[in-house]
Amino acid sequence: MSYGIAVEVKNLNVSIAGKPILKDVNVKIPESTITAIMGPSGSGKTTLLRVLNRLIDLIEGVEVKGSVKIFGRNILETDPYEVRRMSGMVFQIPNPFPHLSIYDNVALGAKINGIAKSKRELDELVKWALEKAMLWDEVKDRLRDPPWKLSGGQQQRLCLARALALKPRLLLLDEPTANIDPVNTLKIEEALRNLKKEEDMTIILVTHMPHQAIRISDYIIMLYEGVVVEVGPTEEIAINPKHELTSRFLRGEM
Amino acid sequence: MKYGRKSLHDKIVFYSLAIPAIIIALILLLLLLTQTSLSIPIFNVQGVTSTYISTTWRPSYEPPPTGAWYGLLPAIWGTLTSAIIAVLLALPLSLSVVIFVEEILPRRFREYISAIIDLMAGMPTILFGIWGLSFLGPILQAYVMTPLHEYLGFIPVFSCKPLAPATVLTAGVLLSLMIFPFMVVVIQETYRAIPITYKEAGWSLGLTMYEYVKLNMSMISPAIVSAILLGFGRASSETAAVTLVVGNAYNIGFCILSPAYTISSLIANQFTESGDFPYMQNALFAGGLILLIIGLIVNTIGIIILRRLRF
Repeated sequence: MSYGIAVEVKNLNVSIAGKPILKDVNVKIPESTITAIMGPSGSGKTTLLRVLNRLIDLIEGVEVKGSVKIFGRNILETDPYEVRRMSGMVFQIPNPFPHLSIYDNVALGAKINGIAKSKRELDELVKWALEKAMLWDEVKDRLRDPPWKLSGGQQQRLCLARALALKPRLLLLDEPTANIDPVNTLKIEEALRNLKKEEDMTIILVTHMPHQAIRISDYIIMLYEGVVVEVGPTEEIAINPKHELTSRFLRGEM
Repeated sequence: MKYGRKSLHDKIVFYSLAIPAIIIALILLLLLLTQTSLSIPIFNVQGVTSTYISTTWRPSYEPPPTGAWYGLLPAIWGTLTSAIIAVLLALPLSLSVVIFVEEILPRRFREYISAIIDLMAGMPTILFGIWGLSFLGPILQAYVMTPLHEYLGFIPVFSCKPLAPATVLTAGVLLSLMIFPFMVVVIQETYRAIPITYKEAGWSLGLTMYEYVKLNMSMISPAIVSAILLGFGRASSETAAVTLVVGNAYNIGFCILSPAYTISSLIANQFTESGDFPYMQNALFAGGLILLIIGLIVNTIGIIILRRLRF
């Protein structure tokens, strides 16, 4: 296990149509850790996450200033297609492609990005990704089924597997359990812990659930109105938050 | 009572709105009945199958089968070939327009393009016809059909010499221009309806623009199939413009550089004089009947496929 810096954000300012969304954000995220970005809605959590894979570029009128380094590369000066291949992303609403089978949903990114060279490699990669997403046992006999036959929680784990099939070193999750039941939530959290431990993956997760942040994260970034109000190891912040806004958020008061 | 208690006022509103809807359904039924009953006399003297598969069109004052003979196959063939050419040309055209407008053109220009497309879709078809005859046809003859015949004449579809500007190919090209705005609308509406979350998922996998568009197009493939069918339905039933540019010669063959007839152009050209010849009008109704059946089948399947699309 290494303890280098996976993500380094310096003086990041993001505005959309002239309206500032993130103001002077500075954070360092160590490798092989789980970091939770917390904050009330509208605080800029999702925007920060989407800067990291340049999905923010899709919004018209967006302006991004500052420097963002992922594993040492300044991603704001790299081709966005390449940046997106460096990380996997899971979204708030389970969104497997409805016209592709369970297998093809997982295989798509790997096929297009040339990660698996042969059919056998691809089969193995799909199995690996589904196992890591803790879904393999439930779908191994029906890989050709359409994804809408799965439950919402299973669909979300399928989306996790789809992201993992890119073999990313960085995994981004935008409130991945906001729309699914508690059992599936725990399964996804367990999957994330294992990915950190077994695959040395760096995981950044946006959440508005303080308990989730405390359960699985090593570090917490507390955002409020586009400003980082507190950053630090989860144990410290959970026991002794320095900032009033953080303690109110952790108590569920906002 | 199923709808609960209704006031007299409600009843009046209900029936006055229901009646026009019922009338529309009845008219379709009536149309089918008229077409069928007026076709029956020709079926009685020539037989159903031989009316539709015979290639001879021989008007005469003597009734069929000994005097006149009215075989519809060349017109059916002309209808199918010109409509197939139209769809084959219109499909890549409409896909490119959708991709360009939805993914490349800045948002603020989109409504202008949409307005132009709507305008084209609603254009009186006769305008396409006179433009096709006086402008498009001669250009196609000189710069497309003649070279095709000279260099690719060994392929059966290009084997005949294009002697006139009005040919099956001219009709097909003109039809493709007429149906493509309509196909654009069908495909574009569905493309726009793809939930943003699928589009984001596509981008997050690092897809290039080409791969991303391919993924989206395969997601809405039912809409594309449906656009093909609905476009085919329109092309096969188009009358005014096709009558002017298809050449109106009772030919049948694989070569698309020769003039031909379509069912609708046959009816448009012959109907006014058909009263002079026994059974000719019935033969034209038999042509109308097959056109109606093709239209009903193609449009029904097209609409069913479009409805079954799920996101």
